[in-house]
Amino acid sequence: MSVTEKPPAETESPPLLPGRDRFDQVRETRVGRSIWRGPRRRTHRDTAAAHWASFLLHLYPVKMKREQIAFRYSYYLGVISTVLLGSLVVSGLYLMFFYVPSPNQAYGNIQTLQTEVAFGQYIRNVHRWSAHMMVLAVAAHMCKMFYRGAYKPPREGNWVIGVVLLALTFLMSFTGYLLPWDQLAYWAITVGSEMAAYVPFIGEDIREILLGGPVVGASTLLRFYVLHVAVLPVIMVSVLMLHLWRWRKDNMLEIPTEEPSV
Amino acid sequence: MSEPTVSEPDTTPDGRRVLGVVPGTPIGERKEPAEDDLVMVWPHLLVRHAVAALAVLFFVLVIAVLFDAPLRDIANPTVTPNPEKAPWYFAGLQELLAHFHPLVAGVLIPGAIVMALVALPFIDRSPWLLLRHRKVATITFTTFLVLWIILTLIGFMFRGPNWSWVWPWDEWHGEL
Repeated sequence: MSVTEKPPAETESPPLLPGRDRFDQVRETRVGRSIWRGPRRRTHRDTAAAHWASFLLHLYPVKMKREQIAFRYSYYLGVISTVLLGSLVVSGLYLMFFYVPSPNQAYGNIQTLQTEVAFGQYIRNVHRWSAHMMVLAVAAHMCKMFYRGAYKPPREGNWVIGVVLLALTFLMSFTGYLLPWDQLAYWAITVGSEMAAYVPFIGEDIREILLGGPVVGASTLLRFYVLHVAVLPVIMVSVLMLHLWRWRKDNMLEIPTEEPSV
Repeated sequence: MSEPTVSEPDTTPDGRRVLGVVPGTPIGERKEPAEDDLVMVWPHLLVRHAVAALAVLFFVLVIAVLFDAPLRDIANPTVTPNPEKAPWYFAGLQELLAHFHPLVAGVLIPGAIVMALVALPFIDRSPWLLLRHRKVATITFTTFLVLWIILTLIGFMFRGPNWSWVWPWDEWHGEL
């Protein structure tokens, strides 16, 4: 807009003033006001106030260092792990509708799921590949955090919580591995649980508690199912909340990005 | 730089006045964004997180179209498959079990790995962050990481019947 232009003639819509555009005009219509609750926030102070008051955004700090949001800082592996967990919860809930954890029914349920249930095979694929990818993503996240030195003070506590989350990821994957009740599942869990039996003195007891008997059987399937769909997810989400809370709080602390002066 | 050209003062519709348009480079300090500048999380980080989330979801949804999850015959306790394989992330442990006493490979080594990971921040007391100032920690961690990846790959792909060595391009025994 040239500054020498004469003011436009009166029209129905307010004129486009400097700093205003068509989007602002749309927001000021009756429909626009029903969708957006207020005018556009323009200044950082204004945006920060909105961020601060938002429930969905309270996890994030309002501002971060430019280097901290770059791809090379984290490869976004934490976000990727969390998204995969979300994908697993959604697909897992769907699978639960069609599954009974009993040796007589489990395998048949999976076959029915794959052949008769709408999107059954597809959702099962999503669940399985998400699970494998989550193990990879969480492990990669830990490695990246090591190489960045993100376990150094004041973040030692969150590193330990992260190790717990890695262990929980393995347990989630391991308990889910048995549920299809096919040869692959049965013998993988047999081999895996034999490792627990090598612990001196109490190894056999650990294995019996895990399996609910001397060998993988009906009680193993039930135990792994309950662990997989109820116990471990609740623990995992709780610990993850603690992890994210610590991430948010530790972010506020001044972390020396410069090397210490010797 | 030429003389600033001053245009006639005029009034824009909102009542502001522009006193002049000056050709040339801006006067004063124009700061290039530095690494430790603070930026607003919305939109800068949230957009990046959304892109990462959508990319990984897209990847999973496409992979799930292309590859079906495996389903073998129904579990049969009387028929042991050969080789008998643990899930791929325990293949490294299983490979260790083939070489060491079970107490070492099944208890001491995995226990030591977990303990070392938990204790890492309390063992490594150096305040340095750059890798070139953390040679001992970096080399130790990388050595174990590479060893673990190699063991896992061997257990996952290079082991056939009776845990004998096979080439994955000859016989494939990896199970996902």
